[in-house]
Amino acid sequence: MTEKRYGMVYDSNKCIGCQSCNVACRAENKVPDGVSRLQVWIEGPRGKFPNLTMDFHRQSCVMCEKAPCVPVCPTGASYINKDGVAMVDIKKCVGCKYCIVACPYQARFVNPQTGAADKCTFCYESRVVQGMKPACVSACPTNALTFGDLNDSKSEVRVVLGKQYTVKPKEHLGTKPKLRTIPNWRGGEV
Amino acid sequence: MNKKFTRRTFLKWSGAAAATIAAVPALPKMISWAEGASLEGSADFVRSYCEMCTSRCPIQAKVVDGKTVLINGNPDWAATGGTVCARGGSGFSQLYDPQRIQKPMIRAGERGEGKWREVSWDEAYAFIAEKMGAIKTKYGPEAMAFANRGGTHMAYMVTLARAFGTPNTFTHEATCPQARTVALNATFGTPALGIDYGNVKYLLSLGRNHFEGIHVAQARGVMNALSKGGKLVSVDPRYSITSMKAHEWYPIKPGTDLALMLAINHVLIRDRLYDEDFVARYTDGFEVLKGSITEYTPAWAEKQTGIKSTDIERIAKELAGAKPRAVVDWGWRTQTTPEEFELRRAIVITNMLLGNLEVPGGTFFVKSPAFINGLVGKEVVQDMKGWKTPPFPAPGKPRLDGAGVKGQPNFMVPPADGVVQTIPEAILTEQPYPVKGWFVLRYNPVATIPHTQRVMDAIKKLDLLVVCDIYMTDTAWMADVVLPESTYLERDEGFNASHGAVPGFTLRQQVVKPVYDTKPHWEIFKSLAEKMGLGSYFPYHSIDEIRLAQMGGRADLVKETKDKGFLSFGFKPVFLRDKNSVAAFAAKVPEAASLVNEQGIIDKPLLNLKTASKKIELLSSQAQALFGRGVPVYRPVKLAEENQLFFVQGKTALHTNGHTHNVPWLFDLFPAARLWIHPETAAKIGLKDGDKVEYESSTGKYQAKVLITAGVRPDTTFAYFGFGRTSPGLKRAYQQGANSNMVLPMAVAPVCGTTLQTTGITIRKV
Repeated sequence: MTEKRYGMVYDSNKCIGCQSCNVACRAENKVPDGVSRLQVWIEGPRGKFPNLTMDFHRQSCVMCEKAPCVPVCPTGASYINKDGVAMVDIKKCVGCKYCIVACPYQARFVNPQTGAADKCTFCYESRVVQGMKPACVSACPTNALTFGDLNDSKSEVRVVLGKQYTVKPKEHLGTKPKLRTIPNWRGGEV
Repeated sequence: MNKKFTRRTFLKWSGAAAATIAAVPALPKMISWAEGASLEGSADFVRSYCEMCTSRCPIQAKVVDGKTVLINGNPDWAATGGTVCARGGSGFSQLYDPQRIQKPMIRAGERGEGKWREVSWDEAYAFIAEKMGAIKTKYGPEAMAFANRGGTHMAYMVTLARAFGTPNTFTHEATCPQARTVALNATFGTPALGIDYGNVKYLLSLGRNHFEGIHVAQARGVMNALSKGGKLVSVDPRYSITSMKAHEWYPIKPGTDLALMLAINHVLIRDRLYDEDFVARYTDGFEVLKGSITEYTPAWAEKQTGIKSTDIERIAKELAGAKPRAVVDWGWRTQTTPEEFELRRAIVITNMLLGNLEVPGGTFFVKSPAFINGLVGKEVVQDMKGWKTPPFPAPGKPRLDGAGVKGQPNFMVPPADGVVQTIPEAILTEQPYPVKGWFVLRYNPVATIPHTQRVMDAIKKLDLLVVCDIYMTDTAWMADVVLPESTYLERDEGFNASHGAVPGFTLRQQVVKPVYDTKPHWEIFKSLAEKMGLGSYFPYHSIDEIRLAQMGGRADLVKETKDKGFLSFGFKPVFLRDKNSVAAFAAKVPEAASLVNEQGIIDKPLLNLKTASKKIELLSSQAQALFGRGVPVYRPVKLAEENQLFFVQGKTALHTNGHTHNVPWLFDLFPAARLWIHPETAAKIGLKDGDKVEYESSTGKYQAKVLITAGVRPDTTFAYFGFGRTSPGLKRAYQQGANSNMVLPMAVAPVCGTTLQTTGITIRKV
């Protein structure tokens, strides 16, 4: 079986900030109250009445190819798996928080129930290996999320990337995120 | 993105629209994933439908590891594409909440004191039966009123009420879409119409907030239309998410939407941009309409609305250019002014001028089994049947609100819904006769009927208030008896009509056994009726019996629905004025082939409506004869005094009206609504963001924190609805956020009977 390179596109124009993804993630991954693997975040309104706009942001792991969280981990708990998904092995994690500090996307936290670092996994173990999409993608009422194998030119995610202008969050850092954003066509900052 | 995130900002949902800047502690404070708890239920997905709002989206849910319930959308339901909103995804959080009502309770202290005695179901039924019997003996059966938020439970409540002998049954509709219902009814002889959002090319929305007042199928439809290049224009005094996603936003002066619509109709008629063939063939009263709009020029409307006449002209022309795939949304929550009947009528008329009826991307008659069977004159699609009951006693007196009663102001209001805000009035004034008992089912009038204090005062005068609900709602807190219903994940139900452009039924099924001592409504009403000697009206013994009877004995259909979660009949969306759609329909239903005319369409139903003229009534003969309101006329309304700010309200994607504020996950996401105020206005009053203020109308006052934002007109304030709860039994939600109905006045709009959700307020810092 060929290896995958899972990626996602977040269309900030289709996102309505409804938090359906946030709740679906919480339910699927039993994320404790008070912490989140995924939220959408609405910024604004900005501008001068009545010429206003808002920006919508997805706040989660962006699945870097060059992930800063991996080399800083002293125990090897933080790793990227064969299909390109950044994971945490909670048996190896000692809760030192180096990865949390290293992550430029504020995507990681200490799970208060396990004491280990926690983050979005694209629902790799519970859904993706069984052929399902991540919970957030399945739940999104307005189809703002597209998921798939970046190595497969026919995958939905590649089709979208071929058609739409996308940006990599904080591209200048050289982390090569596999989560891309379709920016606000109303001229929002990204 | 150069904004710096801190750990704490990550934990919050800042939500411009929501302004939910709550102090979220870093540690779990709730019990969502209770340790050691166990749930008994299905480990495989069970197909059902949601009840976190009343859109009733099909879902599937299962028990995971005996501890939690995972809820997904039903992947086979095309309209939602298997998606589910945040409220729907939070159903488990509600199920497991220890703040739910866990046992039947009878009041032990003063009313509203919060002292309760836990009782058996039998004792609760006996108590209610005795009290209702005493009311009947002393005042007559009509002294009992029954009210519910609509749903499949309604038939059971109404059956008990009819058997008891009272005509006074109500839904919450007068506090929500009733103006739309009455306007559609006046125009078409039926309110059962829909909008084909997904194929719309141009959508004008007046305050219909598709992306926050979320109906998943419709929100998806609008987003699909936008993705295909459709245009959305939002007219709303505040900058909603829908306004943000729209191509254009017009912050209209509150209460003047009717002027905008009349001016659009003026332009369509003045420039002959309307669909002349459609109007000539299918409508009645065009000449009267034409004569009525001459003064409503865009220049006149600009003075009323604050929207430039050039924009109004352009929008009208763009609508006409996109017709028939151009729609003006006829709204959902329809209580912006007392002139709602006129506004909704004007919108319906615009749609008909655009000739958008029965075409893709337009409006359509709901294709229920009754519609299709009526069309072909034969039962080709299984319709839902009721169970047989003995005849009901004739009520001794007419309805207290006069809904459907000849010669009464609320005659045009469907009696199945009624004018629910007249119940507190009748209790307090004893007019038209005394009302001494109120049975409230899955409904929360203390939170949702305007002039909260008056509703509370009325309840204090009652001999009996029964509340059947899942939470200790604001109304339940004031009850004599509280009956805990099982949540939707814990109960089986009969069939639910879910018809749209195709006929379909959905079915609610038990996913998990009741966590507490709760029961489904169909069992509660049967047991209560038996206690009152009315058991013969509830002849069923099990949910299987109910379902089988509803499907006319077709066990195969029941099984199919249980397996799939819904029953569809294999139709493609039916638009009777679209050739391709009609060809597919006629292939599916051969009996319909003879109805297809030479243009390849079926227009017989459009020419045989249940209106006096049998046509689409641009001039409503009924409203004209009874109220002199045959065509919409502008009557200016004063919603705020000169020294006041408008107070308007709306929906959030994270809560459902008076229902979900206390649900743990949803409360955590959005605990307290703030009062929105424009920066210029805030500066004049001397307010900083987050300041606590008292806002006061002629009706009442309340306190909340302000959100200073450019997302609202300088003369207007805004709050999300459903906050500032009055029940201490809602331990999280109690007094959190801005309450709306404390300051909104009691009102009954002419013809349609709706309440009013706009008023004038003054603000002072506290």
